[in-house]
Order: sequence, then C-alpha cells, then structure tokens
Amino acid sequence: MTLAFDTPALLWLLPLAALPILASLLATSAYPSLAATPDDAFSTVTGWTLRLAGILAIAALIVGLAGPHSREQSVLRTGRGAHIALLIDRSSSMDNTFAGKQPSGADESKASAARRILASFVKKRPHDEIGVALFSTSPILALPLTLQRDAIEAAVNAIGRPGLAYTNIGLGLAMALSLFEDRDDDAPRTVLVVSDGAALIDRRVQQSLRTSFRQYRLHLYWLFLRTTGSPGIFPRPGEAGENSPQAMPERHLHKFFSELGIPYRVFEAENADAVEEAIAEIGRLEASPIRYEERVPRRDFRPAAFGAAAGAVLLLLLAKLSETRLAGRRP
Amino acid sequence: MTPPALHDARFWLLLASGLCLAVALLVPTIGLRRPSFNIIAVIDITGSMNTRDQAIGGKPASRLDFVKQTLRQALAMLPCQSHVAVALFTERRSFLLSEPVEICENFAAIDGTLARLDWRMAWEGDSYIASGLSHALTLADSLDADLLFLTDGQEAPPPPENWEERFEPGSGRSKGLIAGVGGYVPSPIPKFDPTGREVGFYNVDDVPHETRVGGPPKDAESREGWHPRNAPYGAAARQGNEHLSSVREDHLKVLGSKTGLAYAHLESAEGLAEALMTAAVPRPVRVLRDISALPAALALALLIAAYLPGPPALAARLRSLASLTSRKGIKT
Repeated sequence: MTLAFDTPALLWLLPLAALPILASLLATSAYPSLAATPDDAFSTVTGWTLRLAGILAIAALIVGLAGPHSREQSVLRTGRGAHIALLIDRSSSMDNTFAGKQPSGADESKASAARRILASFVKKRPHDEIGVALFSTSPILALPLTLQRDAIEAAVNAIGRPGLAYTNIGLGLAMALSLFEDRDDDAPRTVLVVSDGAALIDRRVQQSLRTSFRQYRLHLYWLFLRTTGSPGIFPRPGEAGENSPQAMPERHLHKFFSELGIPYRVFEAENADAVEEAIAEIGRLEASPIRYEERVPRRDFRPAAFGAAAGAVLLLLLAKLSETRLAGRRP
Repeated sequence: MTPPALHDARFWLLLASGLCLAVALLVPTIGLRRPSFNIIAVIDITGSMNTRDQAIGGKPASRLDFVKQTLRQALAMLPCQSHVAVALFTERRSFLLSEPVEICENFAAIDGTLARLDWRMAWEGDSYIASGLSHALTLADSLDADLLFLTDGQEAPPPPENWEERFEPGSGRSKGLIAGVGGYVPSPIPKFDPTGREVGFYNVDDVPHETRVGGPPKDAESREGWHPRNAPYGAAARQGNEHLSSVREDHLKVLGSKTGLAYAHLESAEGLAEALMTAAVPRPVRVLRDISALPAALALALLIAAYLPGPPALAARLRSLASLTSRKGIKT
C-alpha cells in the first residue's frame, strides 16, 4: 500500500507542529526562582505529554488537510471464467419472433429474447472480459474486450433495438476474432455466435478464418435461433430440398465450424427457454481458471487524522480545565 | 469556584478548535448539485468522411480519424456522472452501439469503442443526412439524451431542391449540437475497392450530381434536350462538384435551425466540449462533497492562535528564552 496526498504542498506547514515546544497553553505564574524546586518526575512527564499532545494535534490536522489516502489499485486474483467475444446477428430478421412474425403481446422478438438472456448471462459472470461484435451487411465492433460491467450491459442492451439489413456472418466472425488481437494473456478465449441464420462465406474469408481460429486457440459456440419452418442445422427425415451452401447455408456453416479443428458446439434453439438452457450450458462449460484484476478502491485516512487531532485537543482541554493558580499571584 | 481557565482566552480558542474538529468528524460530506450531461454521439461513417483534409499532430488525417481523436478527448472533459452512448450514421438511420453509460467509470470501454470505429462498418453507401438526423433525434428522444451529430454534411446523392418542404424534424424534445467536420476547400474523396483497399479518388463521373427523386428542378425546362416526358431533367447528366467534398455548413445550419440544434465547426476537442456543454441541457446530479477540510482548517488556525502568546506573554516568553540561553535549569 502506498500513501499519497491530495495536496502534498500543505505538508510544508508541518514545522508549525513545533509550536508547543516553544509556547505553552497553560497559564504561567511568576516565581522568583525555580532553582530551588527539586526535579519532579511527574511534572516532567506531564509537561512533555501536554507538549506532545499539542504537537500531535497540529501535525495530525496538517496531515489530514493534505488529504492522505491509499491509491486505488488493482490486485490480480484467480477466478473461473473466460474471455468472451459475443458475436450477435443484427439483421432485420432478428426483429421477428421465433414464429417468424412481428412481435405482439407476450411474444418477444428473437433480438429481445437474446438481449434479455445475454444480459443475465453477463451479470452472472463477473470475472469475464467480454467484448461485443455485431454483424449484418457489414461487421460492427460495439465494444472491445473489457471488464467494465456497465459498458458490457449497455452494449448488450442496445441489441434489442431494430436491426439492419442482411446477414454477412463471415466478416462478423473476422471482427469477433479481431477482439483478441494484441492480447497475449493465456486466458481461455471463447466466441459465442448468436444468429438466426447464416449465409455463404466467401472462399477467401473462409481461408483466413481457418487460420485465425487455429492461431487464437478458441472455443466456438453457435447459438442458432431457429425460426419455425426454416431448415435446421441437422437434416430431418423426409425433408426435401437441395443440400447446397446456397439453399442451406446453416447446415454448411455448421460443417465449416465442425471442420475447423477447434472445440465447437452448436445449440439449436426454437424458443426463449431453449436459448436460456443453451446459455446456461455454455456458462458451465466456460469455467476455466482465469486471472482477473480486482479493484481495491481508494481509502481515505483523513477521518483517522482528524480523529487523532480531536483526541489530542480533548486532552489539552482537560489539562487546561484542571489548571490552578498559585495562591495570591496573578500572571 | 469556577476554574481559572474560563478567564483565559487560550482556553476558549482551544475549545473552539475542538468544536470545529468535532464538526469536521461528524459532518464530513454534504450533497451538492452539479451539472452532468446525457449525450448520444452519432458519428457519420459514410465515404466522404474518409476525405483527408484534416490534420492530427501536423500530419494529414481523414475526417473520421479527426472525429475519433477529438471526440475521445472531448468526452474526457465532460463532468463525471455524465452518460454517453455511441451510434453510427450511414444511409438514413443511426445505429446504436451501446446504450448510455457513465463516462468516468467506463471511460476505457467507450474510448476503445471510438478508437476502433471504421468506415468499413457502414452497411450502406448512401448518405441521406437530413433523414439520418431526424432518425438520430428520435433515437436521442427514446434514450432521454441530447444529440451530438458529427458529420461533414455532404448528402450522397444530393438532396432534391425542395427537400426542406419534405423534411420532418422529429419530435424535437432533445437538444444538442451538429458538429460540422471537414475543411472549407473541396478535396478529393478516397475510393476503395470491395476488399477495402484504397484505389485512388472519386472521379466526376463516379457520383450522381443531382437526385432524380422529388421531381425535376425549376430550371429543367431551359436545359438542353429537355422533354416533359422523355427527358424531364434535360438530356445530359448534370455535372457538378459532388465528387469533391468540403464541409457543407449552409446545409447543416439550415438543418440545425429546423431541428433546434446548435451548429459548430469541429476544430478542437476543447471547442467541441465547450459547444456541446452549451448546447446540451445540463442535468443536475447530487454529488457528495467532502467538506471536512473547512472546519478542520479553522480548527488548525484556532489551535495555532491558542499557542501563539499575546504581546505581554510573548515578552515574558522572550525574556525567559533569553535567560534560558544564559542559565540552565529553567522550568516553565
């Protein structure tokens, strides 16, 4: 712990604390000569105690006025969690419900379900550094990795607002990965993709994503918010249709993710409860030991200094009240 | 019998000092009202904001980089307890990146977001600034915030002649500032290929110089090759200076007067912070201030006064100090 002062210049007043050595608070009485009085231990101790009380009172007041405090600092602690990049689909289809309709009454949109559930997820994970990347036609970085909880909640809350245009997940993934750039700590890194659809990823983008995913040693989760009636990730019996990346981009994105050679899991959720379960499962999986910084707030020592001064002044007041005069003499 | 100390001024000085100290210990803080601001900063990230007609540290910089730099510094000048949200503008609307957060506690996060802003985040190339501004005002209203709209004012495509009649300023509860970005001399706008690489500048033939929305302008009939049905805008495509960009202050000032927002040209972080705090509505917040220093300072002064001997006592003291130097064994 380091001691610091708000206005250290005031400490130049400290020589004033020598005043009680030079002057006394007590009444002086003229006396012909003290040479005749014997040395008296009690008087000596009392005299110096009162001088010390005076010194202490003045010094403590000056130190207190200078504003003594310990600086705010951060302590490295170990907890459980991960560094998480949230990659959230902000295409306009997220504004619809899981049934693919305009939200009305009790039905909430996919975006607002995601917002609500992610907000409570973030609240439960105080040690995670979390960043938020968004994608629609273009990738948008909403928040770099941070521990500042208010900022994370504000960024997550903003995803409840109306979305933009299309789904360009490839550039979004690249943006999410870029959150881990210039971070060389060994904390586990996680990308959580929340989307209600997928799209073709450009071949060149695919190639660079493969390299980056391996380089960053990521865990990847894809929370697919499936709209009723749309093709899912896994083939269903009796389902017709062409199995091409254009016709079934979700299935092919899943294939791409599975072949990356990194820990990957997909959750297909068709309602808000399923989303909640998936998020809870991800929360359980992402609990490796990580180091995080905890802030130790600034501590103020001013009240302690003023308290000491008050005690010393009280002692001086008592001494002053118990003063008597030598009979028949005036100062 | 009363203690003799009651007839001694030093006792009363000491007592007053003790009472001041008691006040300093018992009433350390009082609530003060201080202004704070609730701001949504909307940043234009359309193509013309890439024009390099600004300077940072003596080096040429794009308008967007200049906005990022000055905004980061200006936000740091807002009083604590102020809240800031960040949004992007392109096309017709503003896109919210984050709801308002307290600026002092979360400055690193806000600063990081601003530092990473990029024109590549734009989801559309168009720049309908008037529509974007009224959308931004609606957004600001919904957040109960005041607006800071940073743009160069260049509409792409250019607005129709009668845009003012069609402009809907929105509900207008929010106040705020339009900050005009860019130089006054028309400069070329950098052009990028689809992968984001810079490939020279926009040419005169690359951009529309006139909109075909909202009916032909009044002078169309006098144009060459005009035909009411086949060529209502004239036969030749209009040539103009839309491929060059300068800050469109006149346009922004008109928008400002229609929406009740102030206008200022972006020149420095200090200027931006000052203009913003003048234009936005201050919201008083209660802050606790430590006022214990006042009674404590008084206590110190009284205590020192109690120790300082009065003139007769001082004379006696000096005499005794003088004798102390000549003789030993003096007691006080």
